[in-house]
Amino acid sequence: MGINHRTAPVEVRERMSIPESRLREAISDLVHRDGIREGLILSTCNRVEVFASVQDHVPPEPLIRKFLADHHQCNLAEYEDHFYYHRQQDAIEHLFRVASSLDSMIVGEPQILGQLKQAYSAAREVGALNGTLNEISLQALAVARKVRRKTEIGASAVSVSYAAVELARKIFGDLTGKTILVVGAGKMSEIAARNLIRSGAGSILVANRTYDRAVELANAFHGKAIRFEQMLDHVEKADIVICSTAAPHYVIHRHHAEQWLAARKNRPMFFVDISVPRNIDPAVNELDNAFVYDIDDLGQVVEANKKQREREAVWAEEIIQQEVQRAMRRLASREIVPTIVALEQRLETIRENELERYRGRLSALTPQQREAVDALTHGILNKILHGPITELKSGVGRPEQSSLVSMVRKMFGVAE
Amino acid sequence: MYSVLLWLALILYFVGIVLTVPSVMKHRPSLPSSALAALGAGLVLHAASLAARAVQLHRLPVIDVQSALSFFAFLVTLAFFLVYLRYRINVLGIFMLPLVFVLTLFSALRPGPSFQSMAFRSGWLMVHISSIMLGYVGFFLTFVAAVMYLIQEGQLKSKNPQQTYYRLPSLELCDQLYFRSLKFGLPFLTVGILTGFVWAARTWHGHWELDPKILAALITWLIYLFLFSARLSGTWPGRLSAYVAIVGFAAIMVTFVGISFVSGWHGYIPRLGKAP
Repeated sequence: MGINHRTAPVEVRERMSIPESRLREAISDLVHRDGIREGLILSTCNRVEVFASVQDHVPPEPLIRKFLADHHQCNLAEYEDHFYYHRQQDAIEHLFRVASSLDSMIVGEPQILGQLKQAYSAAREVGALNGTLNEISLQALAVARKVRRKTEIGASAVSVSYAAVELARKIFGDLTGKTILVVGAGKMSEIAARNLIRSGAGSILVANRTYDRAVELANAFHGKAIRFEQMLDHVEKADIVICSTAAPHYVIHRHHAEQWLAARKNRPMFFVDISVPRNIDPAVNELDNAFVYDIDDLGQVVEANKKQREREAVWAEEIIQQEVQRAMRRLASREIVPTIVALEQRLETIRENELERYRGRLSALTPQQREAVDALTHGILNKILHGPITELKSGVGRPEQSSLVSMVRKMFGVAE
Repeated sequence: MYSVLLWLALILYFVGIVLTVPSVMKHRPSLPSSALAALGAGLVLHAASLAARAVQLHRLPVIDVQSALSFFAFLVTLAFFLVYLRYRINVLGIFMLPLVFVLTLFSALRPGPSFQSMAFRSGWLMVHISSIMLGYVGFFLTFVAAVMYLIQEGQLKSKNPQQTYYRLPSLELCDQLYFRSLKFGLPFLTVGILTGFVWAARTWHGHWELDPKILAALITWLIYLFLFSARLSGTWPGRLSAYVAIVGFAAIMVTFVGISFVSGWHGYIPRLGKAP
């Protein structure tokens, strides 16, 4: 049961959220209620979800609703429209999708996995996970890692400043040892430069109208400040130029770029123009080995990246479907194992009792003959059991499974 | 024997390619190990096929167009493995392997006329043929790198990335592959051409004419020499170099296959056997 960013506005999510500080207490309260075996609570800014495994034949929804109402001391009926409920297979699929970030506001964002891990360890700490739900939760974490590994769902940048880093990587490959020139020491260029440095870029040059501000920013990045007037003489050293000044006209023109590219022996240059009005002549992009991206271009790349993530999500859904099927088969086979064991025990008891009854009449047999009788009766049992056991196993995961189980139990007189 | 092995190799290549395509389409970080296993097994059988033929002929198994293509396809697959292991570029499979398949199929379909000539057992000639082949493999890689570069460059310039943008490697990596394969191919082509001259001089004692294939090979060599020096000095922008690399490979195709049908000495056809 839960609410998320699609079903509920932020006011409702706020009202329903369970802060980290009260999480353990809440889970503990949940699992100590009658009928509830295990519980897991995932509360983030985009969702509040309560997972529970309940005892057989107990409908879980009223229990969880009661829990949430008690916890928040509110009338849940007001919020009823915002909640969704999933059971069994649907619930497992939902948890897997949430963990793999397919249900997130930004598909593929990585935080959710960490949040789920925290929720999991909180629930473990208070002893709320020890059976099926524990197993499913662990599998959800594994599925999320598998999705990350096998698809590129989180690979492309969905923010403008990271899109610049990613483009730089598509041009230069490894950013190690690449030089960045920051023109105009504003907040935006600082963020862009920081992202590039984090991604391994080497040295940094800062040029600004106010030289002191250039020095300040350069020091922050262990870079070098240069005077604005001399800036154009330094650009050729730079592989990546980030431009964000308040100038109302182009600062870098086509003929500048032509000279630099020639001086750089045609090694590529990447210009990021985040200023409005633009500071770099878009005609520079027409030159070979020069790539100019303004703020709108970066936005366009981000849009394309989001679409790419959605395409990757299709492959991720495939993985999730496979994993859900696997989980369901495992759970179902868990249901038949006790039946098989009980069946075997039942027939074995019959065999032993019968042998006991005939003990007197068999006493004349030699040890070899007694062994033969033993083997014979064993053989008969195994032959009889073979049919029902094969049938039970082949029914795993199919809808008729539970009726099959109860039928076999009835036929052989094995108690439920 | 060699023909059976070749067919088996061909089937394995096919399986390998079929397994490679979905992983590239789905943009998986690496090729599935099943694809690599099939291709690897294909490569081994292909090698065995060539070895069987070499034992039978007592020489490098390159005697006609078909066998030359088979040998070339083998070297391309080998190069694919080496480059893939080094750079982990998935799309390389899509660029390189279909060619391998087509070439191998062609050579498996028509084993071609076989002929024996004492002249063809010369050590010089074996060096000549294998060097030229290795050079061509290098330039095929240069060609592939150039195509990848052009596509990726177009994507980056357009500012509206399509599917290919996500699958192709960075420009830097394309350029690296481009230059390294060029540096690999050029010395082999040079040695190949020189040994060809030496062999011709020793065999015919100077009584030979410039046939179209030799001329084409010399033109190819000049194109790549230009490319190499341009890349070394950085005077050509990446796009121009890439276009010339594509032209260069077209010249190779003309030299390798096209002129075989008009050339006298290099025609791979039985009447050569009657040569002095």
